[in-house]
Amino acid sequence: MKKQWKKILYAAMLITFAAAGYGFYLFNKKPADIRTLPYKYELTASNLVGDFNKDETAADKKYVDKVIAVKGKVSEVKLEPSTGQATVILDSGDPLAAVTCSFYDDEAGSLKKIKQGESIVVKGRCTGKLMDVVLNKCSIEK
Amino acid sequence: MKKFILIVSSILLVHISFAQKRYFTKTGIVSFEAGTAVEDIDAINKSVTSIFDATSGQYEFALLVNGFEFKRSLMQQHFNEDYLESDKYPKSTFKGKITNIDQVNFKKDGTYPVTVKGILEMHGVKKEIETPGVFKVKGDDVSSTATFTILLEDYQIAIPSLVKDKISKTVKISVNCSYSILK
Repeated sequence: MKKQWKKILYAAMLITFAAAGYGFYLFNKKPADIRTLPYKYELTASNLVGDFNKDETAADKKYVDKVIAVKGKVSEVKLEPSTGQATVILDSGDPLAAVTCSFYDDEAGSLKKIKQGESIVVKGRCTGKLMDVVLNKCSIEK
Repeated sequence: MKKFILIVSSILLVHISFAQKRYFTKTGIVSFEAGTAVEDIDAINKSVTSIFDATSGQYEFALLVNGFEFKRSLMQQHFNEDYLESDKYPKSTFKGKITNIDQVNFKKDGTYPVTVKGILEMHGVKKEIETPGVFKVKGDDVSSTATFTILLEDYQIAIPSLVKDKISKTVKISVNCSYSILK
């Protein structure tokens, strides 16, 4: 009888430790590296902006916090050495709304070869639309 | 004579409206700190849109709440789902004025202290804030920095009692934008 109690006690302790460990793991878990995730949608910059222009609420539901791959012509590459920021603006054909892609800081090097007017595919996490549709944590897919 | 005055004044008017310079950025940075001694909580948003008018001092910011990047994924999730409710209030804006814009000489490189006053809207709540900041003019570019503190309860952001000692009641917000002239 006594042995049984001991077993239960050990099991309870094990579960408590496991739970605490799992909690600690969850707490310290870093945000996923978007570069290693597959994208959910692949579309052109003009289609993406078009979807947001048509119905922003629906587009928010569909794209925000999702990893997407966007194809478009580079209209600007902005490298800010003072802050380490690296940003690419993709032309959507709409003069009032482009796609702003904020890259991982350590991807800045890969942008040095990119030229204005070049067609590229950017993978990133969509955060919504201000004037432009914005992606963050971007990297070059193609 | 009347015609002359009319022509001169219209030329002047055109000239004034042309002289009205606007500065713009899509890649401004807003970051915040809301940690305590128990836990560090900070996040950064690198795609802030901002515009200001060098003549009137009118000043605006807009950002996507979902664009804040955290170091821990759970914090980002709680921030968006529970505290800021970014699906309901996806944007946060500031609309106001630089009250001493006349003291900034955009033609001369230098550092100028400014005062910014206006309405900060987040989590669906609008509240007036006033903060000192700094404008740095270098050629055609202007950069601005400011740091100010807000109270979470002012914006109806409720922190559950379980994590009350981990999250500060005040949040320190820093703004860092590099502008270029809007063509």
